Amino acid sequence: MALTISNLTKTYPNGTQALKGVTLTIPNGMFGLLGPNGAGKSSLMRTIATLQDADTGSIWLDDLDVLRDKEAVRRVLGYLPQEFGVYPSVSAEELLNHFATLKGIASSKERKEMVAALLHQTNLYEVRKKHVGGYSGGMKQRFGIAQALLGNPRLIIVDEPTAGLDPAERNRFHNLLSEIGENLVVILSTHIVSDVSDLCRHMAIINKGEVLLTGDPLSVINNLKGKIWRKLIEKTELPALQARHQVISSRLFAGKTVVHILADSAPDGDSEAVAPDLEDVYFAEIKKYESGIKNGVVA
Amino acid sequence: MFLAIFLFELKYRLKRPATWIYFIILFLMAFLLVTAAGGGFGAGVNVSIGGDGQAVKINAPFSVTITVAVLSVFGVIIASSLMGNPVYRDFEYRTHPLFYTTPISKIGYLGGRFVGSYLIAVLVFSGIGVGAGLASVMPWLEHDRFLASTPLGTYVWPYLMMVLPNLLFTGAIFFTMATLTRNILSTYIGAVLLLVAYLVSTAYLEDLKNEHLVASLDAFGLSALNFTTRYWTAAEKNSQLLPLSSYLLLNRAVWLSVGLGLLAYCYTRFRFSALASEKVSRKARRELAAEAQAEAGVARPLGLQLPRVTQVFSGGMSLRQWWSLTQLEFRGIVRSRYFAAIAGAGVIFLLANASQVGKTFDTPTFPVTSEVVQLTLGSFFLFQLAIIIFYSGELVWRERQAGVAQIADAVPVPSWVPFLSKLMALWLVQVVLLTIVMVCGILIQTFKGYFHYEIPLYLRALFLFQLPFLMLMCVLAMVTQVVVNNKYLGFAVVVVYYVANIFRGQLGLGHRLLGYGGGSNPGPYSAMNGYGHFLPAFWWTKLLWAGVALLLVLAATLLWVRGTDTTGRLQEARRRWSTGSTATLVLGLLISLGTGAFIFYNTNVLNEYRSPKENEKRQVAYEKQYRRYKNVRLPRITAVSLNTDLYPSTRAVRFRGQFMLVNKHAQPLDTVIVSVPVEQHPRVRHLAVGAPGQATLALNDTTFGFRLYRLARPLAPGDSLPLDLDLFYQERGFPNSGSNTDLVYNGTFINSGYLPGLGYREDAELSGDQDRKNYGLKPKPRMANVNDLKARQNTYISNDADWIRFRTTVSTEADQTAVAPGYLRKEWVQDGRRYFTYVMDRPMLNFYTFLSARYKEYKDQWVDSVGQRTIPITIYYQPGHEYNLKRMAAGAKDALAYCSRNFSPYQHQQLRILEFPQYQAFAQSFANTVPFSEAIGFVADVDDQNPEDLNYPYYVTAHEVAHQWWAHQVIGGNVQGSTLMAESMAEYSALMVLSHHNGPTTMQRFLKFDMNRYLQGRAFEQKKEVPLALVENQQYIHYRKGSVVMYALQDYMGEAKLNGALKQYVAAVGYQQPPYTNSPEFIGYLRRAAPDSLQPFLTDMFERITLYDNRVTAATAKKLPDGRYQVNFTVRSEKFYADSLGNQRPTPLRDYLPVAVFPEQGKDKKPVAPLLLTKRRLAAGDNKLQFIVARKPATVAVDPYHEIVDRILDDNEKDVKL
Repeated sequence: MALTISNLTKTYPNGTQALKGVTLTIPNGMFGLLGPNGAGKSSLMRTIATLQDADTGSIWLDDLDVLRDKEAVRRVLGYLPQEFGVYPSVSAEELLNHFATLKGIASSKERKEMVAALLHQTNLYEVRKKHVGGYSGGMKQRFGIAQALLGNPRLIIVDEPTAGLDPAERNRFHNLLSEIGENLVVILSTHIVSDVSDLCRHMAIINKGEVLLTGDPLSVINNLKGKIWRKLIEKTELPALQARHQVISSRLFAGKTVVHILADSAPDGDSEAVAPDLEDVYFAEIKKYESGIKNGVVA
Repeated sequence: MFLAIFLFELKYRLKRPATWIYFIILFLMAFLLVTAAGGGFGAGVNVSIGGDGQAVKINAPFSVTITVAVLSVFGVIIASSLMGNPVYRDFEYRTHPLFYTTPISKIGYLGGRFVGSYLIAVLVFSGIGVGAGLASVMPWLEHDRFLASTPLGTYVWPYLMMVLPNLLFTGAIFFTMATLTRNILSTYIGAVLLLVAYLVSTAYLEDLKNEHLVASLDAFGLSALNFTTRYWTAAEKNSQLLPLSSYLLLNRAVWLSVGLGLLAYCYTRFRFSALASEKVSRKARRELAAEAQAEAGVARPLGLQLPRVTQVFSGGMSLRQWWSLTQLEFRGIVRSRYFAAIAGAGVIFLLANASQVGKTFDTPTFPVTSEVVQLTLGSFFLFQLAIIIFYSGELVWRERQAGVAQIADAVPVPSWVPFLSKLMALWLVQVVLLTIVMVCGILIQTFKGYFHYEIPLYLRALFLFQLPFLMLMCVLAMVTQVVVNNKYLGFAVVVVYYVANIFRGQLGLGHRLLGYGGGSNPGPYSAMNGYGHFLPAFWWTKLLWAGVALLLVLAATLLWVRGTDTTGRLQEARRRWSTGSTATLVLGLLISLGTGAFIFYNTNVLNEYRSPKENEKRQVAYEKQYRRYKNVRLPRITAVSLNTDLYPSTRAVRFRGQFMLVNKHAQPLDTVIVSVPVEQHPRVRHLAVGAPGQATLALNDTTFGFRLYRLARPLAPGDSLPLDLDLFYQERGFPNSGSNTDLVYNGTFINSGYLPGLGYREDAELSGDQDRKNYGLKPKPRMANVNDLKARQNTYISNDADWIRFRTTVSTEADQTAVAPGYLRKEWVQDGRRYFTYVMDRPMLNFYTFLSARYKEYKDQWVDSVGQRTIPITIYYQPGHEYNLKRMAAGAKDALAYCSRNFSPYQHQQLRILEFPQYQAFAQSFANTVPFSEAIGFVADVDDQNPEDLNYPYYVTAHEVAHQWWAHQVIGGNVQGSTLMAESMAEYSALMVLSHHNGPTTMQRFLKFDMNRYLQGRAFEQKKEVPLALVENQQYIHYRKGSVVMYALQDYMGEAKLNGALKQYVAAVGYQQPPYTNSPEFIGYLRRAAPDSLQPFLTDMFERITLYDNRVTAATAKKLPDGRYQVNFTVRSEKFYADSLGNQRPTPLRDYLPVAVFPEQGKDKKPVAPLLLTKRRLAAGDNKLQFIVARKPATVAVDPYHEIVDRILDDNEKDVKL
């Protein structure tokens, strides 16, 4: 079971090129799709979820043509969109039961069991009679994943599920996602690096509609081993430093600026080597892509 | 602070497109309205709110005021959006934290926003005046419908008087609601409720006696406007601005204070806080606690274990999914507050209208089911339409609005499921609403004490006829939303469609093949004939639109937006195309094309289809071709002998027989012109003049039914000639509209109009002056001059006969009874048909009728003490309509007695009254035969104990019986004034019969009713008002003014003296030969009987348009030592003469007018006899009067019974101050 995306392009009527020849192979298991806001993640997710057409390219789920045979894809799909609302004045239980019918679960007994199990799993059983409209952000996301798991989905797409959740709620949500079986394709799109590093065995980084990198998190981090240097500087020094070195990220810490520099050897005396993490990989790739554009070399 | 916020508001709103869109909407409404009224869309389109441009010009101050005022009431919906917005906007865009944390003052914030928006609203509403004004100077309009120059302030004054105060009041409501509830929908609901409240109150207010109360309760001031201008004549409407009448001042003061009060309330309640209310309800607090608990719950640390389920994807499953979605959508609608609000408003409106169930003469009829169904459906329809339009948008956009679209679109259901389930939900909502309507209807009947519920009729009218229509409307609204794919544009498209649909017929697109949905009911329901022959046309049309709807639904399922991409919908549609789609397409095409062709065959092949325009052209062609034969001398019909075979179940009739024609001229005649009534589509099997060879058919125009025979040998004076005829009428299939309601299954009622006549038919000419001008024809007078001797050669109802001998044998189907004028001489059954031979024993007018129905008979008799005989009275009625038979018989007997005692003997030996279906609402008098509609009188609910109830079954019957004298003995020539001797005299006779029956003190209500109708009628006169003696068949003059004038005359002259003159007149002119009598001759008899002192009064009443303004201005009384009372009061009186356009000039006054003093009324509110009633000579201005009465006075009055035409009726009476 695998999802094969080749050469997918999409240009919106307003001229925005959302996807520029995306090619990806997504195996079973949790796949992280990492990218900044506006990278084209949601466009890609919606295209896979049959909600929009691509201009060119193809998507195959095993031998299923996703772009043509939408009906068949929907039968095996679980989809949690980036932002979603619910019908007003309908309780969680009622709504899940309704979606279960729409997913083709014909037996009402099976539906009831399934809904009850999902409510328990997502810890919403106590508030199942409440209107979903009154749920907090975390509860709503849990409800969202519950509806995505209805039926027997073989392809699950969760688009930016943790955006806006507090750390505890995100943790809870990670636990829930990690329970999803290994033999389905699960695509998690996010701009939060730790979502991917916590959960995914495969990943891709995407920016401005292009795939910058694919691989598994451990090996891509390994590739940067010994190349990331940390330096504490004054804010005013930053432009000069950026001119001399490849500064991949900078953040404020206790009134000073901490920068990470990508270099094969120590850039200067007061920088210290640090063990790279996925965030460094992410920033390094984005930086590389952007400087590539600046220099006219599109990657 | 205020200024800054105010200026910002103005600038901001001026930049908003909504402001200008609303402006343009109002501009266009006014512009189109005036253009339509001004003939801009051709002669066929007749729309007018204020004046139609004939007598009252379209840009007259009155017309402009009405247009502005009425459109501004409908503009309330726009006002709600404009005035609800200013503060709410900050919550909508979440900018309120930014504003509320700045140091602005409440008055500056609220005041600035309100005043700014108010000015914007005024600007938007100025679109009405600008549109109306601009339209009126457009070159394509007919300029004689407009004033060349309008008085100063014509367009501005209505704003100051009506629009500005209305906007302040409604604006205050919407501003306050939106600001305090912070919920914009509440203002829309508010707008709907306000309109409903307005409609309800006006419906109820009509019954209120206190006009100032009524005028002040109507929030929009339209009642006040109406009271102020109701009796205005054309001249006044063309020249006067709205005066500051007491009605208007009171109304404006009341509602301006309400508006300002609301604003003050808004100011005190408003807080600069983030929440509308800072109090948290206990329920909300409890829920918060439960939620916190759930939040705190730690995720279960076990692996995700879900039960295995089987997914089924089959047609059956799709159906179940469709049903599940339908339920969800249906619950979504009926649970929403707005549904409850709109439906609730509809129910309130409907119940409020219940008081109006079939009122005639202000007296209700029994709430029979067909009436109640019609009323409830009618009043509820607009609300149902609002629900369809509103929820079609809500349903189609529901997922996208709720943000659940992406989830819902990605579930594995076929794309037809969502659309069809939403459609089904909307259909179910219609079922719910109709059930509500039915429950309301039964409640109304129950509360009125009527328990004969006809449940099958309810079910049929609501669910068999109305429901399919509503379902088709749902399809249209939903499909529009899908195709347009923009909610507000979708609303606009549907609303524009509905409005355009109203004017479809006038634009020449009236064919039923162009009216999506067909009608909401097959046609009028009659207790006698049920839905009769209307059903096939109804069902075929429904089937046609069902086929079209199927195609529309197919398109909608293919174009249904699924996913976030709406650019490639056609491509996606191609992908969705399946064999099911092909099958639907084929089925839809088969149904719609097949039934369309069948309908076309019926309407255009079996029947003739003509647009109004084509009809006009036909009339013009007829006039241009044949008017030259108008003055050809012709013989007259002197006898009619017919075999009339009625076939009700196949809706056919055959006339075979003979007319006898006599040359009554002094010269020989060589031509006979016969007019065949082609409008009814007869098949002429035989139509011949004279014996074979005696006449040749020189001209036979079958298009216009014009036949000209040349006689081989001229017909000598006094010689006769037979006209043999055999005409067959058969209704075939169904016409586009105006299906024949004379020839029906049960309740056939046809008259002599179905038979040929002699000569050119002047009444077939185009009559409207404007229409004639458009075709280059000269305007024609409404009637010939009163002294036109040539016109007086004919009566006003027949141009080819004087008095005829009449006999007929009528046959009909076995279960029906057939009746015609004359006496039953023979009755038999043959071949399963019933035959009746009726013979009239004396000459009668060439005006007869044939009726046939399954009748029951009610028999009574009148003993004629003058003629020493007994006259049988038979009422032929529909079983079930027994309610008023006694009253009708009593009316007939009393009228027979009164008329034969006072005028002349009754000329017949019997009287028959026959019910006919309510396709027409009148009663009509033929010789000894009175057809009487089931709509008036048969189901009247008259309460004899209630002094307010007019016993109109009694009254109308008396009127019709009196016509046996006034029309059937005495009939005027075909000139002005002749209906004075028919309608006014029948009305006078009925009034006198009633006055003797109830007592003269009870007559005030009748006379006031008639007086009001007269005053209103003259205000709506389109051509010219004339004095009573010259009446040109104007109902408000010959019925309303005529009855009052004649009643006054008997009071002034004395009943016996007047009736004595009338008796002489009847004796002189009854059954006369041409020239026929005219009104000067009639008035001559009155003048000779009247004393000299009354001659000017007669002139004023009959030969002038005379109006008075009488009022009591002060009234006091004191007790005298002898126990009697001295009453002092002041009567202010004025008298005017008016010209035909209503220009009035004051005239000196020295007339005797009635004055009266009344005692206290009893508890039963019945009219009491006056303590004193006398006539006093009054002068113009104040007249001080003093009387001494025996008992304690309560009120004084001038002209207490409304015998004198008085422009304002309600100030004639005043309570006495003791």
